[in-house]
Amino acid sequence: MKSIRTFLLIALLSTITLVNFIAALHGYRASMEEAQKLFDRQIMATAGLLAALPVPQTGDRVVEENDLQAFQVWSDGGQLLLRSGNAPETQIGQRSEGFSELNFSGFRWRVYSQRGAAGHWIQVAERVDLRYRLADEVILQSVLPILLGLPAAGLLIWLVIGRGLSSLRNLAEELRNKRAEDLSPLTLAAPPEELQPLVHSTNALLNRLRASFERERRFSADAAHELRTPISAIQVHAENLAKELQLRDGGEPPESLAQLQRSVARMTHLVEQMLNLFRTTPEHYPARFEPIDLHRLAREMIAELYPAFAQKNQEVELEGTAAQIQGDQFALVILLQNLLANASKYTQDGGRVVVTAIPEGEQVLLRVEDNGPGISDAERERVFERFYRVGGDRHASATSGCGLGLSIVQHIAELHRAQVRLGTSSFGSAQTPGLSVEIVFPKTINTVNDTAEDIPANETTL
Amino acid sequence: MLLTSVILVLREVLEAALLLSILLAMSRFLALQTRWIYIALTAGVLGSVVYGQYLGTVSELFEGMGQEIVNAALQFTIYGLLLLIGVLLILNRSGEARYLQLLQWAMVLAVALAALREGAEIYIYLIAFREQAELLQGALLGALIGGGIGFSIGALFYYLLLGLPRRRRLICALVLLSLVAAGLCLQATQLLEQADWLPAQQPLWDTSGLLSENSVMGQLLYALLGYEATPTPNVIAAYLIGLVLMVTLLISVWLKTRMPGVAVDVYV
Repeated sequence: MKSIRTFLLIALLSTITLVNFIAALHGYRASMEEAQKLFDRQIMATAGLLAALPVPQTGDRVVEENDLQAFQVWSDGGQLLLRSGNAPETQIGQRSEGFSELNFSGFRWRVYSQRGAAGHWIQVAERVDLRYRLADEVILQSVLPILLGLPAAGLLIWLVIGRGLSSLRNLAEELRNKRAEDLSPLTLAAPPEELQPLVHSTNALLNRLRASFERERRFSADAAHELRTPISAIQVHAENLAKELQLRDGGEPPESLAQLQRSVARMTHLVEQMLNLFRTTPEHYPARFEPIDLHRLAREMIAELYPAFAQKNQEVELEGTAAQIQGDQFALVILLQNLLANASKYTQDGGRVVVTAIPEGEQVLLRVEDNGPGISDAERERVFERFYRVGGDRHASATSGCGLGLSIVQHIAELHRAQVRLGTSSFGSAQTPGLSVEIVFPKTINTVNDTAEDIPANETTL
Repeated sequence: MLLTSVILVLREVLEAALLLSILLAMSRFLALQTRWIYIALTAGVLGSVVYGQYLGTVSELFEGMGQEIVNAALQFTIYGLLLLIGVLLILNRSGEARYLQLLQWAMVLAVALAALREGAEIYIYLIAFREQAELLQGALLGALIGGGIGFSIGALFYYLLLGLPRRRRLICALVLLSLVAAGLCLQATQLLEQADWLPAQQPLWDTSGLLSENSVMGQLLYALLGYEATPTPNVIAAYLIGLVLMVTLLISVWLKTRMPGVAVDVYV
């Protein structure tokens, strides 16, 4: 079924047409029969009237009559005593009482014969075609409105169905306007009985979904948080152990201890990243949007992470101009940290990293490019999945990382209604095409629900 | 005038509308585009006006029996197309989707020809009232009522078919197509009898007292099953031959496509 409305309109209109037209047809037939009876009674009345009149004794008197009726009065002996102007001089009916249909004067007539008290015969005839046409004209006038009313019925049905389907339309509208992460229940005011099961089950589903998201988030956040303390303890103990060993034996600590310390560092990083990931989940993050210059923030973050670049002899540049957006400072810091750390981590020693922050019309572009190995087209979609790492375990041995960085970046971008695009770097080579991560931020965030209360009135426009 | 108009227009509209409903419903089941219907109906209506205009010339053919002969030929052509459509529907069921294009065009042609033939009858009938203004109102009103009843039955029939359970759709459509097709053979034979190409015969029976051909129900059964109150042996033979031929062909194609290994459990 393409459209409920069209289906209902056609089906209802067809039913109404069918029933009404058949009724009209039946009414027409029945009315025609009744009309014929009426005409017959009229002839009989005329005949009765003629019979009651005194019988003229002079012969062949002619009386003017209308087109419809003709009559003759014959004496018992077969002499024409009286006739209407349109009746012939020969006898028009048989000499037996009752109705018959005959042709004369070029028409078909319905003739009624009656015997008068004086033994004379009265014959009254009516033109069949005129009788029929008169009745037809009258009855058609009663059938016509049924036909003319049909378009009006169609229009009314169309409007009524539209009204009846409005709650369905509202529900569809509400579902369409719902953002992917909005799991709040549907707020359809007084849904009709038919829609209630749908609204209820949708709300139940949304609730279950929200509860399960919440459980997952809380569990992971709690787990990450709980892991922090013992890991810190292990870190401290490892440090202490290194010092103790140095005091006791002198010289370099054993290699296993160095490995232990590196693993603990990686674990600390993993736990921090997990915490960041769950903190920045768009549904739960308590964003505080304020005007932020992305260019300045990028400069600060480059300065902060400069030791990492220096250690690998990497060249890092900042391009662009002041670029203001509505953003959450804490989240944007995490975003830049992840992008810069990734760029440094996956680019070879002596590589180059270029950060650009520049306003473009109603948007602000943040781009981080490197001339490292880049990400192949096939893997670009998957790198946003949690714990997914390009090349699988091969990376793990060379570079520490947990595969959460781009998921965090994605979360923060969603939080700012920004688009993330991955591409190849503008200064890569054939062997190392490099990676370009572009994030396009809207300058202002216009959302219906959440930001209105977060952004003070004087800060909504820049 | 009204009653005559109603019966004549109802008869023509019902025949075309039922055929259209069945084919349209099958198109929907096969997820074919239903836009073809506009092409078919436009072509049919234009064709019927042209046919009506040249009726004089057509009638003079075949020693003054041109109209009957041409109409009979049209009915037999539509019968052939329905046969083809039935076979293609079965082939399609076993996954031969390559016939869909052919099926679509067979449907367009069948509906266009049906609309042409039935439309021409109505057109010729109504044209006759141009000069008789006093009868025109009744005739038009009758035509409207007849057309309204015919189209309504067609539309309701279409939705009835759409509501059929998935597994029974094809079989129902084939049964209906066979009945309509046999009815077409019956009408073509009557036309040939009128044209004296077949000898005139006494009717075998008369059921007009039981169900008049001039009632709405009689017309519905006429369009759907080829109901005839006073059939001659020729007419009955034509109906049975048409029906048996189609049913045999369809069953044989059905069985062939059901061969082990070929059978694919795809229902239309």
